[in-house]
Amino acid sequence: MATTLVSSAGGMLAMLNESHLSLKLHALSNLNNLVDTFWPEISTSVPLIESLYEDEEFDQHQRQLAALLVSKVFYYLGELNDSLSYALGAGPLFNVSEDSDYVHTLLAKAIDEYASLKTKAAESSESVTVDPRLEAIVERMLDKCIVDGKYQQAMGTAIECRRLDKLEEAITRSDNIQGTLSYCIYVSHSFVNLREYRQEVLRLLVKVYQKLPSPDYLSICQCLMFLDEPEGVASILEKLLRSENKDDALLAFQIAFDLVENEHQAFLLNVRDRLAPPKSQSSTSTQAKPNDIGSEQNATASGPDDIQMTEGDSASVVSVPEDPSETLYAERLTKIKGILSGETSIQLTLQFLYSHNKSDLLILKTIKQSVEMRNSVCHSATIYANAIMHAGTTVDTFLRENLDWLSRATNWAKFSATAGLGVIHRGHLQQGRSLMAPYLPQGGTGGGGSPYSEGGALYALGLIHANHGEGIKQFLRDSLRSTSVEVIQHGACLGLGLASLGTADEDIYEEIKNVLYTDSAVAGEAAGISMGLLMVGTGSDKANEMLTYAHETQHEKIIRGLALGIALTVYGREEEADTLIEQMTRDQDPILRYGGMYALALAYRGTANNKAIRQLLHFAVSDVSDDVRRTAVLALGFVLYSDPEQTPRIVSLLSESYNPHVRYGAALAVGISCAGTGLSEAISLLEPLTSDVVDFVRQGALIAMAMVMVQISEASDSRVGTFRRQLEKIILDKHEDTMSKMGAILASGILDAGGRNVTIRLLSKTKHDKITAVVGLAVFSQFWYWYPLIYFISLAFSPTAFIGLNYDLKSPKFEFLSHAKPSLFEYPKPTTVPTTTSAVKLPTAVLSTSAKAKARAKKAEEQKANAEISSESASVASGTGKGKSSSEKDGDAMQVDSPVDKKSEPEPSFEILTNPARVVPAQEKFIKFMQDSRYVPVKLAPSGFVLLKDLRPSEPEQSSASAMAVDEEPQPPQPFEYTS
Amino acid sequence: MDPKLTEVSQLFERFKAAFLRKDYDTCSNLLSQLKVKLTEFRSLPPLFEDTPNAVRELTIARDIYEHAVVLSVKIEDQDAFERDFFQLKPYYTDACNKLPPSPQEYPILGLNLLRLLVQNRIAEFHTELELLSSAALENPCIKHAVELEQSFMEGAYNRVLSARQTVPHDTYVYFMDLLAKTVRDEIAGCSEKAYDYLSMNDAKQMLMFTSDKELSEYIKEDHPEWEIKNSCVFFQKAKESAPCKEIPSLQLINQTLSYARELERIV
Repeated sequence: MATTLVSSAGGMLAMLNESHLSLKLHALSNLNNLVDTFWPEISTSVPLIESLYEDEEFDQHQRQLAALLVSKVFYYLGELNDSLSYALGAGPLFNVSEDSDYVHTLLAKAIDEYASLKTKAAESSESVTVDPRLEAIVERMLDKCIVDGKYQQAMGTAIECRRLDKLEEAITRSDNIQGTLSYCIYVSHSFVNLREYRQEVLRLLVKVYQKLPSPDYLSICQCLMFLDEPEGVASILEKLLRSENKDDALLAFQIAFDLVENEHQAFLLNVRDRLAPPKSQSSTSTQAKPNDIGSEQNATASGPDDIQMTEGDSASVVSVPEDPSETLYAERLTKIKGILSGETSIQLTLQFLYSHNKSDLLILKTIKQSVEMRNSVCHSATIYANAIMHAGTTVDTFLRENLDWLSRATNWAKFSATAGLGVIHRGHLQQGRSLMAPYLPQGGTGGGGSPYSEGGALYALGLIHANHGEGIKQFLRDSLRSTSVEVIQHGACLGLGLASLGTADEDIYEEIKNVLYTDSAVAGEAAGISMGLLMVGTGSDKANEMLTYAHETQHEKIIRGLALGIALTVYGREEEADTLIEQMTRDQDPILRYGGMYALALAYRGTANNKAIRQLLHFAVSDVSDDVRRTAVLALGFVLYSDPEQTPRIVSLLSESYNPHVRYGAALAVGISCAGTGLSEAISLLEPLTSDVVDFVRQGALIAMAMVMVQISEASDSRVGTFRRQLEKIILDKHEDTMSKMGAILASGILDAGGRNVTIRLLSKTKHDKITAVVGLAVFSQFWYWYPLIYFISLAFSPTAFIGLNYDLKSPKFEFLSHAKPSLFEYPKPTTVPTTTSAVKLPTAVLSTSAKAKARAKKAEEQKANAEISSESASVASGTGKGKSSSEKDGDAMQVDSPVDKKSEPEPSFEILTNPARVVPAQEKFIKFMQDSRYVPVKLAPSGFVLLKDLRPSEPEQSSASAMAVDEEPQPPQPFEYTS
Repeated sequence: MDPKLTEVSQLFERFKAAFLRKDYDTCSNLLSQLKVKLTEFRSLPPLFEDTPNAVRELTIARDIYEHAVVLSVKIEDQDAFERDFFQLKPYYTDACNKLPPSPQEYPILGLNLLRLLVQNRIAEFHTELELLSSAALENPCIKHAVELEQSFMEGAYNRVLSARQTVPHDTYVYFMDLLAKTVRDEIAGCSEKAYDYLSMNDAKQMLMFTSDKELSEYIKEDHPEWEIKNSCVFFQKAKESAPCKEIPSLQLINQTLSYARELERIV
């Protein structure tokens, strides 16, 4: 007999109407089994079943059964809210572990509901009563995930539902606690949108980390940094430094380097000041200060070696204690303070950029020749391009070779020409002052220098000391106080802002405010920006003061400066900034609305926050002022930089707008958020814009394209080559208009920025946003109004290097593999001299020396280097540096050059890199460390500063050739004077 | 024999005895006991499990429900009729391959059709009809209901009323009486639409009332919106319920303006 199936639920539904209870129960339980098939029939009887659920006469089980049945019917009807509320009524009958669509959907719904309730409760601070039954279901679900080993799922849900207790449970019960913790950090950064809540999560993580038997100090310190808790970091560092084990000290150094990478100056200073001085030496408590004092004295005495001397002093002071362990600690403390102050990394970076500089002077020469004499815009653009190309390399050959040509810069062009030196010498902390000395205002003597070059020099000092201005602040303040020339004030304000970025120093603020209140347009603009730089990310109520003044003043320039300044103060404050943003975006004055766009961009930088994006898109299409619309689109780039793939998609429509300002904004948004990624979609979006009909859109697109393509080799994307040729064509074309020509010149600069060894990076490797870089790009995007601000882009440059360091913070000889074809990541080939022009002796000609000669020179260099190690100490006189630096330069040039020589052979599939080496971001995933190497990295990082553990400490160490010069800075170039 | 089954059959015998005695109260009591007992048989719908006694259990269950349906007619309880009929239905539709057909099947189906007609649930009537085989349609019990429906739809109300004399089964009489009322409702509905007013006499004749009093009582109960004035029945009030719809001009203007504004802003 064939199995018989029911064809209708009608019979059972009819039975529900029976008066006898057991009949109803019978019907309910049967219907519950049939509901998956017969829900359409049952749905007409839902009111009846609902009444059964509400019937007090029924016993609990029957009512729950009725609730479950109704819930299922509602689920099939798509009424999830009703379905959920009845499922809650079903109590234990709702089986969380059942594997059916119904249960899955409802669970998701329940969790959503619960999460939104909890979020609402947390936000509105008033108590929202959460249905205990709902809570029970979510808890059951979480417990089940944990028991089943689905920790990530449990963690995600727990975070979403704000159940930190469950999150902790999930982490501690997981089998791979380290892994889950790092996953959790990742999740909290990428998906937790609320800043405060994220901090709570991180605080919990730190707690969990600390409970572990072997804490992962690297991660803890990262968390603490996000939480802004310098005490915690300081105590961990101290513990590690006091350890007998050398490895712990290495770890401490590594932590310090990682923290420095995030560029949070105020935090780092805090940590540094909290590190306890060695016990037996009470006088060293002032140790953090000597630098400042030294530089203050410097202001009057001036001399290149002053600071080094004071460093030596403090070192000798520290080394007094008798107790050996204290001595050890003191020694390590000096090192770590050096690292935390950023000096060590800046010095190493500078060294790397100098030694690996591969900029192509021929490009500049071509630009220079093709640019019309009288066209001052292109003339200064060339100077900008030169500065950017050589940013941080200290190579100013081009300027020195073309003094005549340079002297054509007058007035503000002179200002930026001088400031350009600051970009070139960026990070040259020790000798910055002496380098700029010829151009600086000469106090009292009434020096003949033009105010423009003096102002520019002050700005340059700021650029050199950007974010590390401990030593120079005082001098800049003095200069600001002692002048009433607005051009100098302009430069001093910018310089001071840069040097004391984010330090929120009240005194400096007051001084700059005084400049602002003179109501001079030029100085006021810089003052506005400078106040913002000073207060970056503090969210202080100074913003309101600035806003008030912006309403009072008549000068557009000042309002604009202030608007940007206000935006800077709310950097990274997310929701906290909402009131201010609201206030600005509703202002009558378009300039303040424009500032509001920046405020949105900076407050929500890199968060990809939906609300911010929505607001920006709204302004991008609805504001009446073109400036505001342009900025709104541009701001999208900042909000989205943590997720670069998204930006081209979001702005693609805007890039086809009829409004050129919007198109320009779209181009720069892509440029900012996709900087250095070489993202194919980004390039495709920008390509048509580079030949737009409107000149300034072309300019923006060219610059943006250069930002995207920085350090991308032609081998990995052929469009890079096309773009380079396009730039050349635009520059050489006589009929091209000035705007796009300027764009092309700047683009060539950015494309080869920092001697082709830097990229634009807004996120550190730990996904923390680099405050300096973001601020730098934000101010850079102001160049629309004020060209000298172009130099701010240099703040966003970060060297693409692997720099391995040993315990003495020197680079030992260390090799590692890049498991990819060398051509993918090599430097672009130097341009060749066009046949028509007469052969000029070019600096790049050095590269064409035969391989043999190079090998010989290299060998000699290495030997020399080896000999040097033993005597390498503080006593090494800086005098030897002069003779050495030239030979070194050759050596380095050749070392880098060697892969190029191998061209004729079939290309190998890997490449051996020598510490320190250039590792471009795309290359990072191919980096492998060799198994049998003498050194083992403390942290498996493919780039940046990595501390190396020496497995054979007894053997003599070999320093890598270029690292030798760490102690010996290249000599400052001879000052040159403008002839006019 | 299964003790449960024995118990049910014994109970059922007592039920039948009481049924014959026309002791309907006892019947109802016994019936509800029986129904509860039946829930314990797993071979019955909707489970249809293959137990050894399946056929016998199904047969007796069907028998019980058939009696329940007839009983509900006897005690003139339409809800109970509907309830029992729906519970009986799976035995006809789903269990037909397990059981020999029941002699009561067609009369009961016919009764159900009649009930739907009485309750003026024409849609369900036709749904039920579609489910029947062509052979079933030939059955006099079914045919009777179908013909009634046709006359009813044509408006040949006299034929409907005269059909009471030709019922195929005595249980049908109850529903035929009810049908007269349904017909009256239909006529009332039509007159309302067709006339502005009717004289009392015409109305009385049309609605098949013998006295004015019956008519006025009917109006009071079922059509309170009708008015009796000057010995006429006015239907006017019922017709007033069709107000002219206002044009939402303000809303339209707003919408148009906002479109215009959006157009200006297009990227």
